[in-house]
Amino acid sequence: MPEKAPGCCLDLRGTPCPLNWVKTKLRLEELEPGCRVEVIVDQGNPARNVPRSAQMEGHKIVHMVSSNGGVRICIERG
Amino acid sequence: MEVTAQPGCPGERDGAQGDCMERVYFDHAATTPVRPEVIQAMLPYYSHSWGNPSSLHGEGVAALEGIERARQHVADLLGADSGEIVFTGSGTEADNQALIGAAHALREKGDHVITSAVEHHAIHHTAAHLETLGLRVTYVPVDDTGLVDPDAVREALTDRTILVSIMHANNEIGTIQPIAEIGAICRQRGVLFHSDAVQTVGHVPIDVGHTDIDLLSLSAHKLYGPKGVGALLVRKGVALTSYLHGGGQEQGRRASTENVAGIVGLGEAARLAREEMAQEAAHTTALRDGVIGGILDRVPDVILTGHPARRLPNNASFCVAGVEGEALLLDLDQEGFAVSSGSACTSGVSEPSHVLLSLGLPPDIARGSIRITVGRGNTVEEVDQLLQVLPGVAQRLRDMSPHRPAVAERGHHA
Repeated sequence: MPEKAPGCCLDLRGTPCPLNWVKTKLRLEELEPGCRVEVIVDQGNPARNVPRSAQMEGHKIVHMVSSNGGVRICIERG
Repeated sequence: MEVTAQPGCPGERDGAQGDCMERVYFDHAATTPVRPEVIQAMLPYYSHSWGNPSSLHGEGVAALEGIERARQHVADLLGADSGEIVFTGSGTEADNQALIGAAHALREKGDHVITSAVEHHAIHHTAAHLETLGLRVTYVPVDDTGLVDPDAVREALTDRTILVSIMHANNEIGTIQPIAEIGAICRQRGVLFHSDAVQTVGHVPIDVGHTDIDLLSLSAHKLYGPKGVGALLVRKGVALTSYLHGGGQEQGRRASTENVAGIVGLGEAARLAREEMAQEAAHTTALRDGVIGGILDRVPDVILTGHPARRLPNNASFCVAGVEGEALLLDLDQEGFAVSSGSACTSGVSEPSHVLLSLGLPPDIARGSIRITVGRGNTVEEVDQLLQVLPGVAQRLRDMSPHRPAVAERGHHA
């Protein structure tokens, strides 16, 4: 099992594009603007596509950190 | 409650009636009208977001969003995780996938399946297919109320058993099975448990998080969603062999480009059902009990079929002695009521269903089966109208019948 990051509950490693973004988006929709969610996606295309889609829809990338074979992305709802 | 959308004008088909009479739909176990909110939720996926959800571009992502939102709604209704929901083309497909998929995935482990005598044909005919592949199938009997005894399932388990499939509630007689007990027995023995919950999802609470269910089938059109879409719940850790081969849709669990609008409709129906289930069940239960009480009071020689208490909130089913159920159905149709019968007429002779015969009813009684299944749009007034019409229709048919019930015969000779 992956390590549980603080405030993170969405492990999308192994989830392909664009399903990883859609699942992230549904989670963001549950939040109030300004609240954050952390997701872990695979390195490579997912680590490029998920933040790009988030920014295109007006959300903010707070930080990205390599983690356990994936990339942990903290996103703030716009 | 909204007014039920009434289908068509059946009276016109034989030219007998010029004007369309008011119709009363009492066949919600067969199918339910699609709720207007569901239609509204579906329309954008035909008119705007018609992309292929497997496409990586924006059009594809818009369609994928609709599917994933629906998946979450269905999961929430069942107390499941969204990753455990696999959309299918129907409840029947979900049943086929569960049985055939388990049989293939577990062929090294065993070759024995247990089900009940009163399952839907989607289970019985699939089980018969498995028998042609060399598997053995045990059909556990039911008592005279249609209940499966969990101990009978326990006793039927062998070291070769790979799957037990027992429906949640019966479509004809409405009896609700003790699936929690049966699931616990299966879990204890390490055997997969599947339940065909097509009649209960959205009507009776189900929490798979607190029940030992591995696989569960549902269908959208039984809960005010569209036809042509269903789902199979596959609990985490349960591996099935997919029986449709093709693309990698549904995370490789069900090939085929998704019925996006249909799935969205199922999701919206599930969302509404979760919100309104208790209120709707109270409404249908009151109508159901009005039908049951009224018919038992007003029509002589009638048997309530199914369990008196453990039954679907919408199901009132009977056998009317001395009457062909199908004749009763057709006469009620002429009077403006859509009901069902568990007896199908082939070459002039009514054949009672396997469910009714499994209850131990004599075939001549079982031939008189009639099923009234109420829904959210029905009213007390509609039940009263049925109760005014039905006794006369039954009596007229009895007077015409060459097989009058014994009680009536005695009456004539007295």
